[in-house]
Amino acid sequence: MATREGSFSVEDMKNVQINIGAVVKEAEEWDQEMGPFPKPGVATLRTWDHIIANRYKIMYAPADDTCTLCTYGPCDLTGNKRGACGIDQAGACGKIVLIACLMGCCAHAAHGRHLYHWCVDKFGDMKFDMGSEILVDSPIYQTIMGTKPRTFKDFNEGLYYLEEEVVQLLAATHTGQESAYIDFESKALHAGMLDLLGMEICDMLQIVAYDMPRGAADAPLVEIGMGTLDQNKGVLIAYGHNLAAGSEAMFYAEKNNLWDKVDIGGVCCTAHDLNRIGTGNGELKVPKGIGTKPKVAGAMGWWRKMIRSGVMDCVMVDEQCVFCDVLADAEKRKIPVIATTDKIMLGLPDRTNDSIDAIVDDLVNFKMPGVAVLDPTKAGEIGIRVAIAVKPKRAEAKIQNLITEEQFKESLAKCTQCNECAFVCPPHIRISKLIAEAVKGNNLEFSNFYEICVGCGRCEQVCPQGINILDLFEYANRQYVKNQKYKMRSGRGPARDTEIRAVGMPIVMGTIPGIIALVGCSNYPNGTKECYDIAKEFVDRGYIVITSGCMAMDMSLYTDADGKTIWEQYGGGLDGRNICNTGSCVSNANIGDAAIKIATIFAHRNHRGNFDDIADYILSKVGACGVAWGAYSQKAASIATGCNRLGIPVVVQPHSVMYRRTFIGRTDKPEDWMVIDARDGKMQQIEPAPEAMLYIAETKEEAMLEMAKLCFRPSDNSIGRGIKLTHYCDISMKYFGKLPDDWHIFVRDVKDLPLVYKEEMLKTLESKFGWKIDWKAKKILSGPLRPADVSFDPTNLARKIRTKK
Amino acid sequence: MAADVKKGIDTTKNPIPFEMAQVPGPEQAKCYMPKVMGAIIKKAKRPLLVVGAELFDDPIMFDKMIEIGKMGIPIAATAHSVKGFVDRGYLENVYQIGLHPLTSNLRFPDWNGLDGKGQYDAVIFMGIFYKFANAMFATLKNFNRNVKRISIDRYYHINANMTFGNMAFTPDDYHAAVDEVIAAMKK
Repeated sequence: MATREGSFSVEDMKNVQINIGAVVKEAEEWDQEMGPFPKPGVATLRTWDHIIANRYKIMYAPADDTCTLCTYGPCDLTGNKRGACGIDQAGACGKIVLIACLMGCCAHAAHGRHLYHWCVDKFGDMKFDMGSEILVDSPIYQTIMGTKPRTFKDFNEGLYYLEEEVVQLLAATHTGQESAYIDFESKALHAGMLDLLGMEICDMLQIVAYDMPRGAADAPLVEIGMGTLDQNKGVLIAYGHNLAAGSEAMFYAEKNNLWDKVDIGGVCCTAHDLNRIGTGNGELKVPKGIGTKPKVAGAMGWWRKMIRSGVMDCVMVDEQCVFCDVLADAEKRKIPVIATTDKIMLGLPDRTNDSIDAIVDDLVNFKMPGVAVLDPTKAGEIGIRVAIAVKPKRAEAKIQNLITEEQFKESLAKCTQCNECAFVCPPHIRISKLIAEAVKGNNLEFSNFYEICVGCGRCEQVCPQGINILDLFEYANRQYVKNQKYKMRSGRGPARDTEIRAVGMPIVMGTIPGIIALVGCSNYPNGTKECYDIAKEFVDRGYIVITSGCMAMDMSLYTDADGKTIWEQYGGGLDGRNICNTGSCVSNANIGDAAIKIATIFAHRNHRGNFDDIADYILSKVGACGVAWGAYSQKAASIATGCNRLGIPVVVQPHSVMYRRTFIGRTDKPEDWMVIDARDGKMQQIEPAPEAMLYIAETKEEAMLEMAKLCFRPSDNSIGRGIKLTHYCDISMKYFGKLPDDWHIFVRDVKDLPLVYKEEMLKTLESKFGWKIDWKAKKILSGPLRPADVSFDPTNLARKIRTKK
Repeated sequence: MAADVKKGIDTTKNPIPFEMAQVPGPEQAKCYMPKVMGAIIKKAKRPLLVVGAELFDDPIMFDKMIEIGKMGIPIAATAHSVKGFVDRGYLENVYQIGLHPLTSNLRFPDWNGLDGKGQYDAVIFMGIFYKFANAMFATLKNFNRNVKRISIDRYYHINANMTFGNMAFTPDDYHAAVDEVIAAMKK
């Protein structure tokens, strides 16, 4: 083959094939040396994963005793037996954990890939600019990839890497691949880390493309609640996680001045993202401030209650967490459905290439219950026009689907108190009791349990009398729905570098007692109010509280005695006694980002291609604890697992046993709690801080106590340890009526003791634990595991030992 | 009290998991009569009573658990159930621990127990959120079968070794059944 070098014109060439390899950019200006592990492969960080898994013992609660994945099965694995392929119960559980984490990771990765194409097509290859207050603008990307994206197209490298890793990981779940449970978990941790990357790519792209807030503590307050949807207008619901179609609907309404005719409400994380559009201070390619116009209809847990309450006229679904019976529920109520991505097509005809007028006509005249339109711009226009036009046409259906008092009483009378419903209700509501009370004329119990009902609809399916139980809830709470009008601070996005500089030292030293991240979905064990209760408890105590997703929405539905929501009670900065809404599901990456930024901005750690070093720093020194109090999804599993790989422990609710695997340390094994003092390489036993990576709490009281404990870190100075111990003991006294039994293991020095308990504790240390106390000098002479030493530098990585020059 | 006159409660009826889809596999718990349960618990060398926050929904059960505690069986008070014992002034052999860490420790033959005297040979669950208790039983069923799994809760616990049938909607029968267990333990 002839070749030619140098510069030349292709214009006159014929029969020429031109092959272009990678376009090599000019050397980027990043003075940080590349770390040891850029773009880690499946086994690259396995040593780090084994450090985590060996200290925090992997514990499985199998949801079933059989494996049915191949044709040898079903195989009985009870008692950790092996199946035909040789896998044991632990391995089978590990495989399910990896599959679940991959499902979650892929949900975000695919979302990111779609957003990448969509944003580049719509907005061009924009400069990746997070504003002048965020210079460490893509911490997870930089840590994992070892590069800094400068424009949108640079994110392609991250997506390619992610997609390749996911394929390799999924391959390992095939029968006859991985068998060791510890390595299934290592792979799951890898999937979790990849999920952090995928989420960050999603959020960074949309923040810049749609000009969302870049760390704004004063992000606008928006309206939330079913009662905020204006029933004088056509109501279009945008349900899911991908803002493409919902945003196009907003732009169409704006361009055509239709806000007096249509209201848009977001359900689940699409709501968070729609509300952030155009409220940033960056390059504006969208209508300014448009994000304040749509409402937040509510979190996913309210969906079936919402659709039964008659507040919507048309539904646009995009992707993730869309209940699979959306079409059936909508069709019954003559609510047209528009499916807007290929991930959820609902068996509907694909009319992407049909005329908008024809589609609108068909939907408005109920010729079909829904359509799939995979062009977001087209779908957005259709959504708006259908919502407006169908509203008068479905007025009768709307009323017919709201049960009357007579129908309510008829349904109540049908109940035979068989209690089949309670057997399938996730929070085990004694529905028969609610009905018995209502028969007597007292609907209060239906009201009291409305927020506890998770809206799953399983009760209706098993009722032998065919009672539509969710309709009973709707009837009894009709006024509440009308009054469900609250405020929520819209998503502020990441932490600003200046915020990190201000809180970095207090977090590491412990004088801000911890960072609590309240995230995730709506499958709460005991109702939505617990989100508000938990948030308020920790904000009041001076913790930094960050929230996102459905939990951020659900905590907005409660007020204090002055009628203020939690967002109106406290500021939105990343600081103690503040509460931030970071945004949607994908904004959870900002939580990992904040922890990484503490390591890089405050502690000047090199993060470039250096994941395990950063994770080791966070595990040893950053008192952060994630809480997913309603986790239901595979995304929640992968997010929690990604946090765990990053060194952040997570507390979950009892339904989370369905995730199979937790990580919990043995506090009775001193050898599990040895770390290296990086100053000189000596091994030092530490107190178990944190004592678990994934902890299941039965009640919110137990969760709150554990959250306070999981914020302890070996690096706490005495003031910080004293503050953390104060809260740990105070929460215990408040909800448990006594001091915790293990407070003493966190005491290194008399200065660690909470002032309010000091005398009592010194006496107990001497009498119960045999410590030697110098009462005159008020000093502890012997007893603590180790002395308080502010320059103690704990690490789990031998390469961090400082070598003498 | 209605429960005082009830005797001979048949606790072998209604072997239906309180979360109906929780049917894990071929090994499923048998239901036993209260006297048999009581006799088995009495024979255990290192039993541990494990109670949870559902005691607050049925406070009389705190008193019954204290009765068992006074017979020398230690009580692991999980969730925030220890508050109920604090309020009743009984902490003598009550240990505060989460069900999750407790179950984790129960997996390991070398764990020395809450009192430092060795691993347990029987755990008796009561008053714990159903799904959570079911899952923790599943852990022990698969990973430490040397710990007998007994439920004296109001639910049929399919992953236990021994359990009552479901009595979630017959509280008087349930209270009477637990009284019969206690009486059998005292014999």
